Amino acid sequence: MSILIPLLILVPLACALVIFFSGPRAKAMVPFGILAALLTLLLSVGLCFEVYQAPSRLAGADGVTEPTIEPKVSFISDTLRFVLPISVGGHPIDWQLSFGADGISALMVLLTGIIGFFTVWLASSQIEKRTETYIALLLVAISMLMGVFLSMDLLSFYIFFEAVLIPLILLIHGWGNGKNPQAASKRFLLFTLAGSIPMVVGLISLAMSPNIHGQPSTVSFSELSRLASQAVSSGLPVGTKDTWAVWLLLLGFGIKLAILPLHTWLPMTYAAAHPNTTSLIASVVAKLGLYGILRIVIPLAPVALSIEAQMVIGTLGAIVIVYGALVALSKDNLREVLAFSSLSHVGFITLGLMSLTREGLGGAALQMFNHGLITAAMFWILSMLEQRHGTISLKSEDRGLAAQYPKLAVLLVFFTLAGAGLPGLNGFVGELLTMTGMMRVCATLVAIAVLGTVLGAWYGLRIVQRLLFGSDGPRVDAQHRSLSGTDLQPREWLPLVTIGVLCLYIGLFPMRTMKLFQPDTDRLAKLVEPVSKQTHRDMDTLVVESTNP
Amino acid sequence: MDLIQITKATVGHLTPEIVLLIGGTLVMCASVLTSKSARENIHTQRNNYAFASLLCLIAAVVARYWYGAPSIAPGDLGLFRFDASALASERLTFLGGLILILMSWSTAPKGRLAEYYGCLLIILAAIPIVGASNDLVSMFLGLELVSIPTYILLGIVKTDNSGAEATLKYFLLSAFASCFFLLGVSYLYGFCGSTNLSVIQASFGEGKRLMALGMLLAICGLSFRITAVPFHFYAPDVFEGTSVTMAGAMSYLPKVAGFVALIRLIGAGTLSSGASSVVIPVLLGCAALTMCVGNLLALAQNNLRRMMAYSSVAHTGYLLLAFVALIRQDASPGVMFSYLAAYAAMTLGLFACLGEIEAAGGKSHLIGDLAGMFQRRPAASIGLTVALISLIGLPFTAGFWAKFMVFVSAVADRRVDSISMLMGALMAINAVIAAGYYWRILSTLYSKSESQVPLRVFRPSLFFAYTICTVLTILWFFVPSAM
Repeated sequence: MSILIPLLILVPLACALVIFFSGPRAKAMVPFGILAALLTLLLSVGLCFEVYQAPSRLAGADGVTEPTIEPKVSFISDTLRFVLPISVGGHPIDWQLSFGADGISALMVLLTGIIGFFTVWLASSQIEKRTETYIALLLVAISMLMGVFLSMDLLSFYIFFEAVLIPLILLIHGWGNGKNPQAASKRFLLFTLAGSIPMVVGLISLAMSPNIHGQPSTVSFSELSRLASQAVSSGLPVGTKDTWAVWLLLLGFGIKLAILPLHTWLPMTYAAAHPNTTSLIASVVAKLGLYGILRIVIPLAPVALSIEAQMVIGTLGAIVIVYGALVALSKDNLREVLAFSSLSHVGFITLGLMSLTREGLGGAALQMFNHGLITAAMFWILSMLEQRHGTISLKSEDRGLAAQYPKLAVLLVFFTLAGAGLPGLNGFVGELLTMTGMMRVCATLVAIAVLGTVLGAWYGLRIVQRLLFGSDGPRVDAQHRSLSGTDLQPREWLPLVTIGVLCLYIGLFPMRTMKLFQPDTDRLAKLVEPVSKQTHRDMDTLVVESTNP
Repeated sequence: MDLIQITKATVGHLTPEIVLLIGGTLVMCASVLTSKSARENIHTQRNNYAFASLLCLIAAVVARYWYGAPSIAPGDLGLFRFDASALASERLTFLGGLILILMSWSTAPKGRLAEYYGCLLIILAAIPIVGASNDLVSMFLGLELVSIPTYILLGIVKTDNSGAEATLKYFLLSAFASCFFLLGVSYLYGFCGSTNLSVIQASFGEGKRLMALGMLLAICGLSFRITAVPFHFYAPDVFEGTSVTMAGAMSYLPKVAGFVALIRLIGAGTLSSGASSVVIPVLLGCAALTMCVGNLLALAQNNLRRMMAYSSVAHTGYLLLAFVALIRQDASPGVMFSYLAAYAAMTLGLFACLGEIEAAGGKSHLIGDLAGMFQRRPAASIGLTVALISLIGLPFTAGFWAKFMVFVSAVADRRVDSISMLMGALMAINAVIAAGYYWRILSTLYSKSESQVPLRVFRPSLFFAYTICTVLTILWFFVPSAM
């Protein structure tokens, strides 16, 4: 039992409620909001330490029948249960909710804590109207995100997964300063619901899958993953009913991570919302889909996933890498360029997940964190630029902003290179691992993906060239804004430098970070690698000697 | 047990309904008995009648607590059966009644207060009678006791052309539906030789297809009450042509009566395979049609009332899906009652908010009328927001559990066949469509508009009505077992 887990969910929520109900004193509540976010960040760091120090139990001799998902730190209360007046196959529905964290959750909680804190921090200077309400809604969103990452059962996962929508919709609708935020928020709502409501059918059918073996239905991840690994080890045939569930789940998660045909909400939302909101959406909320696949689809329905969907989603991931990069190259509005580049980079993570190998899963988990850091930083830089110059377009001239804003220029170049996957920075490690993983399964997809890294460098350098350098030299735009002409102030570069240091650290010592979640992804790989091998007979034929011990 | 004992026990357990019936009759007579001077002060009169009705309701609740949950079931041969479903339908009715009386407090038609509250109380007495009925005769009696006061209510709350149209439409179609019901019931009686539901359900044998026909006709009659497609045509016109309070009542009370009657008629696990092979496909098809038609037509509406009418049709579709799951597995009807409770809180809450906006001088006819309402009337807008989020089915509202439970019961049916899984998916798609039109109302509330005149008139009763609904909507999310 760790008290940190309920605190991580409740502290930001409670502080948000305090701000909502503070009435006429609301204006003065901005520092309070920042403090709340800082407290959340500290709590998430504390949780990471707790998970880090918890004894790691690698699967033993009878490893396969052990649950694939095992929280190292957990919080289970008997009052949190859900009883339905229906009985299925003679078993009443009595679901115990549980919360907990393993390495993967802890990593995502840390990401939410870091990005959440800096988003709130920057909001205080970047949001002009109703700042305190904006910050309160951000805190609600952070609380809900923490709930998703900390839930250890299908039901609370789903509740928080849905609940994230509410604050985000309001943030996009109320504070969007781009193209038509009303239409964008509607599209965001409908797209997300179109995925998540059918998804609930899949989740429920997963929860009821123990009924087939005559056991009561359950929502607990560890129970269900134990059953799944038992089914894999005993070689039970999978019915067609599971594949239904897998497709429904992939629909829901696919929309959140904006897989190719379902991605149209993403550029619209990113172009409409305030860049500060977008940084949270792009770096954390977009990870919900990936996290869902890693947490639910892979461990709980490995066979059905591998037979039905692995190559389809993997191919879509590879295509989205190239597609996103090409569209990013053709767009001129910096918001849209960043939106499509984010889309493209998420493709790598999808690729890594769908490889279902040890390297691929580990790399995907690491890259989820990396991509979160880099994307958030890019959107913050965009937000700072927009504060100085209005809409940033790459179209017409070489703006030569480097001379005007040297500090900002250095950071922009740094994060562009991190995004493009320069060795020594974090993007490189993650993308390399995901591609190594996919290499073992299907080399063609990796060939396509590599194309994406080249294009990624191209559009990254295009941003740098058009914005920072050029013959025109410094020039001040017609619309004089309060900050135009001044370089980054301490409160602006502090978040960027912090993120930059993290990027460098992960790039130089990736194993230290991976130690946090490696046992968990390894356990997952131990379950799914044999399954994947059954489906893909020619797996590992390219690799002469497998790196898997 | 002999007849006298059964009658005594029945009367004992029907005390709340008897209290309400007597109360309703007395209230109705009160307009004749009160002196002329007392009739002149409209405010005192409003307060008196509403207070008297509230007192009757409270007396009924107290009577139920006095008797407690019925311990002995008075034989299967009686007219009434007091089990969990009967109590649940009573609870739902009293909850709706409380909110409706509060909503009526300031919106009841001026010259017709006595008739209005009298009819309302009689409807409130009639639904538990349907819920407790164990006999076709008592069920029909209860259903007519719901319909006839409804005609009167529709007739007196609005006397203009649209009100007359709504009343006439409802009256004719309702009478028509009652005929369907009676025809079906006569078939059932003809085959079984008894009007007792236990006997009828026991004699569902193999190969009795014609009995299934009788059942289908009775279901047709009830489909009108629950506004299932293709018996939904009256709903938008009636909702549009009546007062806000009555629109709320029409969306909720007949639905409770109809579903409770359905549960009574086709209890859990009572259908034989022969009968269910006829009834279940019809019900599933009806559910699919009802949700799709309701949601698609609601999407096209600009008129708020018509939109809510179609949304009420769509919710019937979801409930029918839960009903099929209930027939198939020997499950308790708790899912449907929970859904109806959540539906009461969110729909009546929404209508109460609209009522308050109208009472304060605003308009709530078209969706566009609500533009900028958050600035003009913040409290009602927050109530509307909670109700709409609950109608969409997002977390932290009762609507989330309502939809979730229907999904669970649909997926649980998967063991029987895969159609119900498909139905679950269809309902999911429908829920997304529904989110589209509910979001339209929501974003209108918070949009900017030219008229920024705050609406300041305060009606405590309406405020209480939607506060109760809002609090219940949020509370039930955390305590779903209390729903």
